[in-house]
Order: sequence, then C-alpha cells, then structure tokens
Amino acid sequence: MTGAQGLMVLTLAAPLALLLACLWPAPRRRVPGLLWLAPLPGLLAALFAAGAPPLVMDGAGLRLTLALDAPSALLLGAAALLWSAAGAYAPAYLGRQAGLERFAVWWLVTLWGSLGVFLAGDLVTFYLTFAAVSLAAFGLIVQDGTPRARRAGEITLLLAVMGEVCLLLAFALLADAVPTSSLAIADAVAALPGSPARGLILGLLVAGFGLKAGLVPLHVWLPLAHPAAPMPASAVLSGAIVKAGIIGLLRFLPADGALEGWGDGLAALGLFTAFWAVGCGITQTNPKTVLAYSTVSQMGVTVAALGMGLALAVPGTAMAVAFYAMHHVLAKGALFLAVGLAGAVGGARRTGLLLLPALFLALGFGGLPGSGGALAKLAVKPQLDAGLVGALAALSAAGSTLLMLHFIRRLASLPPADATARPSWVPLLAWLGMAGAAVLGPWVLFGAIGPGDPWLGDSWEALAKDPVGLLWPVLLGAVLALLLGRWGGHLPTVPEGDLLVLAGRVGRGGAIIGAAVSHLEKRLRAWPTAGLALLVLVLALFGALLAGAG
Amino acid sequence: MTATTPAGWLLVVALVLPVAGMLLAFVLGGRAAERLALLLLGLGVGVGVAVSAAVLRMGAPIVYLPGGWAPPLGLALVADGVAAAMLLTTALVLFAVALFGRAAHATPPDQAETRAALAYWCFLLALAGSLAAAFLGGDLFNLFVALEMLTFAALSLACLEGKPSQFRSELRYLLFALIGSVLYLLGTALLYGGYGTLDFRLLAGRTRADLPTLLAAALMTAGLAAKMALFPLHLWLPPAHAGAPPAASALLSGLVVKAAFVLLLRVWIWVLPPLPAMAAAPLLAALGAAAILVGSLVALRQARLKLLVAYSTVAQIGYLFLMLPLVLSGAAETASHAWLGGLLQAGSHAFAKAAMFLAAGLIATALGHDRVTALGGAGQAVPRAVFAFGLAGLSLMGIPPSGGFTAKWLLLTSALGDGQWWWAAVILGGGLLTGGYVYRVLAGTIAAPPGDAPRPRPLPHGPQNVALGLALISVALGLLPLASFGLVQIGRPGALGALP
Repeated sequence: MTGAQGLMVLTLAAPLALLLACLWPAPRRRVPGLLWLAPLPGLLAALFAAGAPPLVMDGAGLRLTLALDAPSALLLGAAALLWSAAGAYAPAYLGRQAGLERFAVWWLVTLWGSLGVFLAGDLVTFYLTFAAVSLAAFGLIVQDGTPRARRAGEITLLLAVMGEVCLLLAFALLADAVPTSSLAIADAVAALPGSPARGLILGLLVAGFGLKAGLVPLHVWLPLAHPAAPMPASAVLSGAIVKAGIIGLLRFLPADGALEGWGDGLAALGLFTAFWAVGCGITQTNPKTVLAYSTVSQMGVTVAALGMGLALAVPGTAMAVAFYAMHHVLAKGALFLAVGLAGAVGGARRTGLLLLPALFLALGFGGLPGSGGALAKLAVKPQLDAGLVGALAALSAAGSTLLMLHFIRRLASLPPADATARPSWVPLLAWLGMAGAAVLGPWVLFGAIGPGDPWLGDSWEALAKDPVGLLWPVLLGAVLALLLGRWGGHLPTVPEGDLLVLAGRVGRGGAIIGAAVSHLEKRLRAWPTAGLALLVLVLALFGALLAGAG
Repeated sequence: MTATTPAGWLLVVALVLPVAGMLLAFVLGGRAAERLALLLLGLGVGVGVAVSAAVLRMGAPIVYLPGGWAPPLGLALVADGVAAAMLLTTALVLFAVALFGRAAHATPPDQAETRAALAYWCFLLALAGSLAAAFLGGDLFNLFVALEMLTFAALSLACLEGKPSQFRSELRYLLFALIGSVLYLLGTALLYGGYGTLDFRLLAGRTRADLPTLLAAALMTAGLAAKMALFPLHLWLPPAHAGAPPAASALLSGLVVKAAFVLLLRVWIWVLPPLPAMAAAPLLAALGAAAILVGSLVALRQARLKLLVAYSTVAQIGYLFLMLPLVLSGAAETASHAWLGGLLQAGSHAFAKAAMFLAAGLIATALGHDRVTALGGAGQAVPRAVFAFGLAGLSLMGIPPSGGFTAKWLLLTSALGDGQWWWAAVILGGGLLTGGYVYRVLAGTIAAPPGDAPRPRPLPHGPQNVALGLALISVALGLLPLASFGLVQIGRPGALGALP
C-alpha cells in the first residue's frame, strides 16, 4: 500500500475509529469536541491521493476497490473541508444538550458515507456508503425532536429508502450485465450500453441519484429536511450530502456519448428543476428554506451541465461538473453556517462579519465577476453555451441571483442580537473560513488541479473574455429582486416541499389498500378457509407437478 | 454412501448430547438442570463448529451408519452442507436463548425449584435434540419423527407460563401441525410403496415422474407448508408466536420453522424428479411472494409489538420459497447463487428474528405493555434491546452490511440473471414494507414517553446483551466474503462436482 492509498483507507477509518470510541462512556463524552478531526484525512487524501492507483482489496471472491480520480478528489476535498468546519461549529451551536452524543454518532455515520461515496470504486462499497449517507442523515434531521423535524425526517427516510431500492435494482442489473464476476464500477459502466435492460438501468440510476440530488419532482424532501435540521447539519446536508447524487451520476453514466437521448433528457430535467426551485423559493420566508430551494436549483444547473456534456460529448465534462458542484459545497455550506450566526451577532459587526460576506457569496451563485461562482459558471460554459440552452442557463443564473438576494433580505430580517453581543469565535471562524474557501478555492483550483495539468486555462483570461455575459444575469436578477421586494407580497405562498401536498392523496390510497389487505388476511385466518386452502394447495401442487411431468 | 465416513461419530455426539442431557436434567432437577443445559448447549456450539469444519475439510457430506447397516436396510445420519450450516446456526441461537433465560428461570440456592424453570431447561435440551435430528436425519420417516418431537418440545416451551390464552393459541398450532403431519405421512407411505426406501440420498435421481410419486410430493409439500405457515396457511403462526414467552417465540420463529424448511428442500431438491419440480416451483414461490407482501402489509398495521414481529416472520418465510424456482430452473451459477441466498436468508433470519423477539420481550417487560403506539421511553429504559431490534430490522429489510442484504442481493441477482424479474420486484417491495414496520417501532421507542405513562423500568444489561449479540451475528453474516459460504453447496445435487 502506498502513502496515497493509505490516505484513502484513513479517510474511511477515521470516522469509524471515533464511532468505535463511542462504545465507551468516557470517550463518548469527548467525541463531539473531536468531530472536526474526523474528515481531515479526507482532505489530505483529496490533496495528495488524487489520481493514485486504485487500492484493490481482494478478499476471497469479493473485490473491494477504493479509487480517487480528479473529479472525485475535488468533491471529496470540498466536502471534507465543509464537514470539518461544520463539525467544529456543531458542539458550539448545539451547546451541552443531552442529545449531543447521539447527534455525534449520527454525524459520524453520515460523514463516513458522505466521504466514502467519493472513494468507492466497486458497486458494493458504493452502495454501502450511499446507504450510510442517505439513511443516517435521518438522525441529523430529527435531532431537535419537534413534530416538524420528525415529519421531515420521516419523509426523507421514506424517499431515501425508495431511492435505495431503485439503486439496488439498478446495481443488480448492472452486475448481471457484466460478463465477468467483477463488481468494479468501471466494468459495470462499460457493460451498461450493451445491456438489454439499458433503459431500465438508466432510469433507475437517474431516479436513485436524482432523488439524492433533488431533481424535480423528487426534490420534495430537501426543502423540508434542510430547514428542519440543526444549522451545522443543514450545512452538510445541503453542501456535502446532496453531492452523493451528483457523484453517482458522474460515476455511472458513461461519458463517451453512448447514451443518445439520455443526455438531452437530463439537461431538460435539470433546467426545469433550476427554474421550478427558483419559483418556489422566492415565496418562502424562512431563510433556510430559501437556501434549500437554492440548492435544488443549483443541482438542477449541475445536472443540466452534465446532461449537455453527455449529449454533446464535451471532453472534460466530469471535471467541469465536479468543479461547479465543488463551489456549491463550499458556498452553500458557508451560508447555512451564516444563518446560524444571524441571531448571535449584533450592531455593525453583523453587517461587516455576516451580511456583506454573505451577500458576496450569494451573488456568486448568479455569477458575479470576481466571485468563486463566476469561475464555476465559466467551468460549465462549454456544456451550457449552445443556443437555447445557453439562454436558459443565463436566465437561470438571473433566477439564482433573484433567489439569493431574497435570501439575503430574509437573513437580514432575522432578529439580531443586541449590539454588544459577541459571537463565540469557533462558529465565526468556521463561517468566515468556509466563506473564504468558497471564494478562494475556485481561484486556486481553476487554473490547475495538479502540477502542470492546466485544464481550464487561465482564470483571469477567461473572465476578461466576456465580462458582460457574466454580468447581465446578475443585473437582471437584481432588478427582479427589487420588483420582488416591492410586489412580492402578492405571490401565493408555496408550502415547504411544494409537490408534497399531492402525496396526501397517495397516503390515503395506501391506507385503503392496507385496510383491504388486512381484511382479506383476517378472512383467510378462519379455520374453514385455511382448511380449504390446504386442500386446494395439495390439488394445485399435484396438478402443477403432473403438468410438468407430462 | 455405504459406509460411515471419518468424523461420522460427531453426528452421534450432536444427537446424543442433548437427548441424554434432557433425561439427566429431568432426574437431577432445578439448579442442576440449568447448569447442565447451559453446559451442553455451549458444547453444542462446539459440536456445530466441528461438524461444519469436518464437512468443509472433506468437501463431501459426512455420514454415520448406526450399527453399520447401510440404507435401504439401515438408517443413516448425514451432515451435508445445509445440515451442518443449520446445525451451527441452531446451536448458536439455542445457546443465546439459554443465556437469555437465565434471568427468568434461575433457581437461586435458597429456593425450591419451580415447575416452569425445570421445564424450561429440559425442553430447551429436547428442542436441541429434535432440531439436530431434523437436520441430520437421512430418512424421510425419521425426519418426520424429528419434526413431531420438535413440535411437542416447542409447544411445551410456548405454554410455559400456563396462561389460558397460550393454551388456546398453541392448541391451534398443534392441530394445524398435526393436519400437516398426516399429509406428510401419507406422502411418505406412497413413496415407500414405490421405491422401498425413504433415504433421500438413495431416492435422489431415481424417482420417476409417475402418479404416486407426484401425489406423494404434493401431499408432503402441503404438509410441510402448513408446518411452516406458508401464506395462506399461516392462521396459527401469529397467535402462537406472539403469545409465547419471548425465549420460546425466538426459538419458534427463528428455528422451528426452519426445520420444516430443510425437509422441504430435501423433498424438492433431492427426491423430486427435476422436470415436475421445475414446473410446480413457481406456484410455491408465488405463495411465498404473497406471504412477503401480505405479511409485511399486515405487520405494518399491527397494534401489538409481538404480533408485528410474528407477522414479520410470516413475510420472511416467504423469501425462502423464492429460491425454489431459481435453484431448480436456473443455470448452474444462478442456481448456486440462489441456493446460497435462500440458505443465508434462513440463517440470517434465524439470528435476526430471535434477536427481535428477545428485544420485543424486553421492551414489553420494561414498559409493562407492548402497544406499538405507546413505546415511548423504551429507548432510555432498554437502549441495547432497542438497538438490537434496530439492527435485526436492518437485516430483515436488507440494508447492507447484513446477512439479510447479502441473502436478498443473491436472490435478486439470480432472479434477474434468470430473467424471472417479477421475484426481484417482490423482494424489493418487501424490503420497503419491512422498512415501514421496523421504522414504526424504532420511531416509537426513541420518542419521549407520554406524560401520564408510568416510568419504564430499566432492565439489567445481561439479557439485552444476548439480544444484541444475536443481532450483531445477523449483521456480521453480511461482512463475510461469499466464498466462505462454500459450505452450504456441499452435497447439493447439481452443485459443481456433486451428483448430477
């Protein structure tokens, strides 16, 4: 095992080691204070292990593979950074409450899965880590124990399990399509275009991963869960956890243009999601809900870029999409941390330390020149440049600006602390550190991701090429935001989770079926029916056996 | 097949130890019975390991011919892969349940022995003996006798508390099991008339697809299905398993139904000619699928925790039947995957369901009731039991890493590989419904107790740890690499390198 491979193993081992420590009462009390340490090996792995040869652990008949290519490393690094900042933020935010240790356990399991999906190189490891990040997030969402949090958690869990079912079936079909007994993702993806069940597999993959990434109409859990969770958990949910869906799409969809139709379909779905979420988001009053809708919208843009990249077979699509998503990890995570501080800072400090940096990050989502978001937009420009798609993408950037300015307005309207209140320095540092990373990270990484491996060119040059193209969506968004501020009161209110109102009907239908089945089962449990059933079974078996013999 | 193999004596030990122990315990009474049972059931684990190791080492079934008489004249004891694996599973679950029962059925030095305690330890040994006989018997009539002994030992454990409601529901169980026995017995008579032997290894490959054989198979299968509570013949299972004391429920749901399952495999995989079996297997699998869907849906709507767990057994038994069409009609690789998947389901369900019933019993004891809607506070009172319930639930749902996941994954991939995708849909749908009822329980237990409820009573860690240990085993089965389950393929007709 080389050092780089050792880092990959350590990434997965560190959260597990802390989990193990939770078995004993004395170390368990110290674990919440150490949460920020657990993701650090992941950060190191992202920095030093990208592109290292995959680590294959060949147990008898079961090959586990850990691999880290450049796009995964980008996402792994950003996610690890956010997990670390949020992990430092969490104990301070939650205080000494009784459930803190339980929260830490859920946190570590989710963290393990969240970082693991970026490293998994085979179907089994991927499914395992994906299940961990999907299901354990439930514990983070219901931490507050309120009925609202519980409902959000239950809906999330239900949808997460349905997503798991989709993925399990897709993986089973993929494993069946691979001619050898290999379970490596690379082999599965290579076998996908030739599989007779190709359409079904792709549909299941898009459903399973789209659910995690929040593609409409599978996004309904996101605007419920992200606001209901405690602030640091919201940050990782919106920043890091939804990226499990993005990395899944990146990993499993063959990039070589073998999927005619699917790329366009994904792009259409992504753009629709981007606009839908803006429309729902601007009617929300809770700044966290606005942020959650912004996440849905941004993931829509990400998927649209991926879809167009697949449809047009643009080289370097995976890297560009990962870059876009990486900026979202950092910026969205940072903004959630900011919401948590809004009630703890007062006076001029509030404007200087909180609102102004937040405004800069927020405008970055629309592509304000100079922000990290502008570079993210540039990165996916080759994918989202053509004709109608280009216009729609620019319009969605204007929509993002509108939504994020709405967020800033809602953030500023939160009741401030009195002017003398000083926030404790750990959360403040976590927020400012993440904000800094969201701006500087893209600048550092845009030009080169490895020594001598420039992949997008010079960032300054790229920015200078078309400053107007970047600026007009921001300006349009700002004008729209002014209009929204003036007449926004006339907009209808959309409940959190918009389409979820339709689910009530499905639930009632399910209850009716359940009652009918229970009734039927009760009838079958009567002695005469059971005796008759036994007789019929003998005859039916005899008949079937005879038919087979004849 | 004609001589005792090396290590054949182990099979005699596996049978004689619990039976002799039971007789001795009955004579010695109370405290001695407890010690003897714990000792012998502990040794049983060792014997189980030794038998599995011997089968694995030889790569072939180990056989013991009592008195040196070879079938068809004599009776053989046979441990092939299935038998060895089930013997080991049984030994572990039995030992765990014995440890669990120490809290309720100990006889302290200064007290007179109670009838219930003596009966508990004696019948635990009787159950161990009859299970060993049911797995190791080579003769279909002997297996029937073992199954009858098993029914009576299990009944006695289930009625240990002597409540009228228990007698009522166990009587229902007894009646239905007896009807099943009659059908099975009729079948064996027909087979004996046709072939002059009931040794399943002698019958393998020699049976004809004629009327008496097929009628015999239909009768025996229906009888065994009644004993396994295959939907819609499950009327007796929910009250019997839910009404029994937790230790007995764990054994009934975890182990007793599996003995009939092994017998069913003997009939379908060994005795029946392949063509008719292939044609009729989908019928059984369809009933299994119905069991999964209906059982899970009804479990989801139960008001009592133990009934919920019992209906979960109805559903999980359904998965065992899904393997039949896949093993019988699949290509060699599909068949071997489905076979392993089915047996892994039997094993992991044994551990998980035993853990679940023990945990449900502890939760009910701590709260003083087992209403699913009022489980609040159990998480604080018996945290390990709740955790055990959750882990066992993950295994039943098929969430990785767990034995249940590996089992369902294998069944799923073989169903898809064989083009029988409808079984895959059932497996996935069942997992979703299972998740629903497991969540209902877990969400209830971690909620705060209602204000007016009496405070739940914290219980000692010992029994909780037993439940947790069983749940952990069911999870750990999923962490073993698949190749380490090569054991269960040994001696299977159609397996590579075995009889055709």
